[in-house]
Amino acid sequence: MDMLEKKINDIQIVTLGGRMDAYSSNDVERQLNSLIEANQVKIILDLAGLEYISSSGLRVLLAALKKSRKASGDIRLAAMRPYVKEVFDIAGFTQLFKIFNQEEEAIDSFK
Amino acid sequence: MGVSVPDLLVDLIKTASVVVVFAYLVTRTGFFSDLLEKKPKLKSRLIAIVAFGALSIFGTYGGITLSSGAIANIRDLGPMIAGLAGGPIVGIGAGLIGGIQRYFMGGFVAVPCALATVIAGLTGGIIFIARKGTFPRVWQAALFAIGMELFHMGLTLMIARPFNDALDVVKDVVIPMSGANAAGAAIFAYIIWNLVNERRTAAEKEKYRSELERKKFEIETARQIQQSFLPESTPTLKGFDIAAFSLPALEVGGDFYDFIPISQDKWGLVIADVSGKGFPAALFMALSRTCVRANAMGKATASETIRIANNMICQDAKSGMFVTLFYAMLDVNSRQLRFVNAGHNPPLFFRGDSGDVILLGANGIALGVLDEINLEEMKINLSSNDTVVFYTDGITEAINGKEEQFGTERLIKLVSQNSQLPAQGLVDKIRNEVVTFTKGQAQFDDLTLVTLKSTR
Repeated sequence: MDMLEKKINDIQIVTLGGRMDAYSSNDVERQLNSLIEANQVKIILDLAGLEYISSSGLRVLLAALKKSRKASGDIRLAAMRPYVKEVFDIAGFTQLFKIFNQEEEAIDSFK
Repeated sequence: MGVSVPDLLVDLIKTASVVVVFAYLVTRTGFFSDLLEKKPKLKSRLIAIVAFGALSIFGTYGGITLSSGAIANIRDLGPMIAGLAGGPIVGIGAGLIGGIQRYFMGGFVAVPCALATVIAGLTGGIIFIARKGTFPRVWQAALFAIGMELFHMGLTLMIARPFNDALDVVKDVVIPMSGANAAGAAIFAYIIWNLVNERRTAAEKEKYRSELERKKFEIETARQIQQSFLPESTPTLKGFDIAAFSLPALEVGGDFYDFIPISQDKWGLVIADVSGKGFPAALFMALSRTCVRANAMGKATASETIRIANNMICQDAKSGMFVTLFYAMLDVNSRQLRFVNAGHNPPLFFRGDSGDVILLGANGIALGVLDEINLEEMKINLSSNDTVVFYTDGITEAINGKEEQFGTERLIKLVSQNSQLPAQGLVDKIRNEVVTFTKGQAQFDDLTLVTLKSTR
């Protein structure tokens, strides 16, 4: 899967693309953990390119969400595709994450 | 007596060959392995003394005849190695054999030569003690041999008379003898270290192999324990036909299903999928199953059962692990199914009369995520020929060679077309279709399936 990072002020934007399955989730987990450990706790995940997410992927995002909130940060999601949205919906995770249609809206929400 | 260079070379190669073969054979023999151990047996020491004594005697005869007629011998080599490998007693023993034999050959250098051979064994033994039995490296062994030979020459000059004759001999042989013995000692060191390293590698391999064996055994045991967490058979309920199937992607998995007897006519049905797979998922599965089981009895409603189970799971869910779970209470008499859906793929409810398909969704969230949850409890009534298919996403998210998913649509169509099959037949049908669909692909996720048919 693809992972890109950029930073706007104190907001870290991570763009995820491709399939987030049991294997590629490990890479994402490592990346998010290193951000949170470096106190980069305001994180936006741009999911426009994300085609698939498995339960392992949800676990990684949930763990990162818990950690970032503990450090007074948050993980906010933007531009989910319908299929990925459905996976979040079924698991009930849409109740947990703040979800935005556009990356820009997510950035604004942190201001 | 004139000796040509080719003759000298042939001599040298012959002697070297004998040393190499001797070193190779001796180091691969049982007594030598024993000698390298911390506490060798007396028998091994005795054999070593004889063998290296013999090498010493060979060294006397198998020396290299120089152009001056003097012989550069390697008599000291055997005792040196014996001492280095077996300690002072073995060294002196071998030295005595070579030395006494040399002494009785006579000649004006008999005494210093004999003496030097014994001292070579003793010195090797002292080094053995100083190095706590570790054989010297190649260069160290060569250096030791050169030192030993220089000492040998000094002893000859000190003892042998007339001095000028002794000096002539020493001048002739000092370099070739130092060189020949150094080469011999180096050969031994090289071969012994080869052996030591080989043994170490073999020991490590063996350790690794047995470790692997043990792990395999543990994994198999874990797999069996987990299998025992799944119901051995499906319950026989009046007017219902139930079948189930579960196959982890790895040896153990995070999917499970359960049938829990709640009261005379009430049964709890569970299907669940722990995030991730393998051992972490398997451990969490065991926890989740126990929490649900422990709470199923005595609770009036499905939502209450799972709400409390979630409290318990949350106390132990520190790693972001969670479990999606569908729990239903089946009343065998009233034929009502009351259910909650904690973030699980909605089971498919096929109406026998109309052929309609209803997804059994209800508001909820996966367990282990939030400490306090509210779950919407829903109910359906089952009538004749109704079918409910419970599954985990391993079924619908199975992918084929073109990265296409099996998908919910395909599953719905498959069940609709085979609604006349009994519960077990339906499970087999779906499993076969998924296997055929994913042909050639490694199983990616745990697969679990439960079918419930109402037969009246």
